[in-house]
Amino acid sequence: MNVDIALFAYLSDYQPDGKGGRGARPFALEPGTTVADIIRTLGLPDEPRVVFVNGRHAADEALLAEGDRLAIFPPVAGG
Amino acid sequence: MRDILRVNMTDLSTTWEPVPDAWKLYGGRALTDAIIYNDVPADADPLGSANVLVFAPGMFGGTTAPNGGRLSVGAKSPLTGGIKESNSGGQLAHTLARLGIGAIAISGIPADPAARYALTIEADRSVSLTRVDEWAGLGNYETAAAIAATRPAEDRFATATNGPAGEAMARAAGIAISDPKGYPNRFAGRGGLGAVMGSKGIKAIIVSDKGAGFLEHADKEAFVAATKNFTKAIKEHGVSGTGLPMYGTNVLTNILNEAGGLPTRNFSAGSFEFADAIGGETQRATILERGGDVSHGCSTGCVIKCSRYWSDKDGNYKTKGPEYETAWSMGADCAIGDLDEIAELDRACGDLGLDTIEMGATLAVYMDSGAIQFGDAAGALAALRDGLADNVIWDGAEATGKKFGVARIPVVKHQALPAYDPRSVQGIGVTYATSTQGADHTAGYTITANILGVGGTVNPLSPEGQVTLSKTLQIATAMLDSLGLCIFVAFPVLDIPEAFVAIHEMLEAHTGTKYDIAALMQMGREVLTMERLYNERAGFTSADDRLPEFFRTDKLPPHDALFTVTDADLDSVFDFVPETAKEMGLQ
Ligand code: SF4
Repeated sequence: MNVDIALFAYLSDYQPDGKGGRGARPFALEPGTTVADIIRTLGLPDEPRVVFVNGRHAADEALLAEGDRLAIFPPVAGG
Repeated sequence: MRDILRVNMTDLSTTWEPVPDAWKLYGGRALTDAIIYNDVPADADPLGSANVLVFAPGMFGGTTAPNGGRLSVGAKSPLTGGIKESNSGGQLAHTLARLGIGAIAISGIPADPAARYALTIEADRSVSLTRVDEWAGLGNYETAAAIAATRPAEDRFATATNGPAGEAMARAAGIAISDPKGYPNRFAGRGGLGAVMGSKGIKAIIVSDKGAGFLEHADKEAFVAATKNFTKAIKEHGVSGTGLPMYGTNVLTNILNEAGGLPTRNFSAGSFEFADAIGGETQRATILERGGDVSHGCSTGCVIKCSRYWSDKDGNYKTKGPEYETAWSMGADCAIGDLDEIAELDRACGDLGLDTIEMGATLAVYMDSGAIQFGDAAGALAALRDGLADNVIWDGAEATGKKFGVARIPVVKHQALPAYDPRSVQGIGVTYATSTQGADHTAGYTITANILGVGGTVNPLSPEGQVTLSKTLQIATAMLDSLGLCIFVAFPVLDIPEAFVAIHEMLEAHTGTKYDIAALMQMGREVLTMERLYNERAGFTSADDRLPEFFRTDKLPPHDALFTVTDADLDSVFDFVPETAKEMGLQ
């Protein structure tokens, strides 16, 4: 199955196709894959992150489903 | 020893008085509130003689406390009709504090409405009021240049200036504060305080601190040790140590867009198709390409450095930021997807002296009326520049919406909502609804736990836990605003316990006053209590602590969210006020 992955701020260097940028990329994965599995596969730095699946916060253990959009941000904020 | 400089514009007199002992831990917002609470009748005309415009550095102003240089500007607001504190960066807070000035309090109105005055305070604390009628109508940037031309070479000074919108007493007018390079680009933007300055005939305040150093501390060693601990906490937190310095506040655009909380096309959707084009990552890349400055402090002593300058395509300085709020208000809310167009609108607001949050929301309401199309940046700039013939645009979103017959007007207590939709970020809806300041995101910034995972997590789409979150943050913010600390220190403070301890230690070591750490949060409650009681006297009731009805009835895409916090819950936010009032001996 496929999910779309979007990586923001300095995490965009870790895009699966190595091309950087913040546009979402399709990513093929096995059923039963969790958010944590993808973070490990992409080699994202070990720091607090903000993770959304389809615009809602998702925990590391959340299972991904066909067509999901996964967006990951490093710790950021503003005002 | 701090003094209050009293300026009376009716008889053009100036006098000094010591800050009363009862207010010895009050600076910034606490001090502006205390002066307004005591001196301005609740039924006073905000543009009349009885209103008092107060400028106060926080308790850490003039010291080396990290991020301690924020300025509070207060008065009765011509926009909300209630008490107002508008918080600004820039150099003026440090400059005032270094001269031992706890506050400037300006009352009265001059006999000649055409008169323009400059209030100048020299480093030896001599004060003068001079006629500068020739500066009438100048934009903030030209005013800054005119001021610089009057100052001796090698001077060091900071300014507060008023643009044409403030002179016209428009209700969206803000006051420009100079940054470390002298650009008049920091703003006490909200609540129409520029109009109050205009009513008092003050075009500029100029304060020199040439030769003055940082302030002395009661216990220097302890102060230095505590500042080290505080700096360490700020630097090691991901948000204040990396995210903000690298991308600035506009890094929020993509994350709010992802969460469906970025108000778009006058609050009719929660995401914007050109979010990435106007967001912080694109902004950083563009500034770097143009050889601009991507990270500096808006005042000395800032260790987070979220500020940046935007350059035009030829590499020339155009404006600051744009900050997230402006990228949103002039961008997504108006459906303008280009940072250069947004920067042009930001520059125009900065020069005219207009609050970019209020003006972006106003232009979006104006577009919603069909007068011009969403996305029409040139039309927006033209509307902004003339303020329309009768100034209705400069009077803000509510005035404009009423005049043009728009149903969806996003205001609370007559002040426009900032850049988070309360349907998909319910905690900020609680702050908007209940804040004493009118809709104000900084009053209790629940985006922390609602979106950013700082200080815990609270589901942004559910009403659960939002009142406690908003209340705690409103109290903590009132305290930070009184100390003069930038609100962005809240990120490490929420996650790293040593940071709060360090604030307490810095304040004890600076003032020489020993007290329980819990007194810090009590100070926050006292600030909100004064504001709340003042607003009650001015006629506010629980009916004013509500969002516009459409947030409960019109579903917001993409989550089809509605604001569902109950009225009873909203009414519980200020349940501590009667007890705190009793403890303070008020009423
Ligand atoms: S963090 Fe940003 S807003 Fe705060 S003091 Fe520094 S530059 Fe100014």
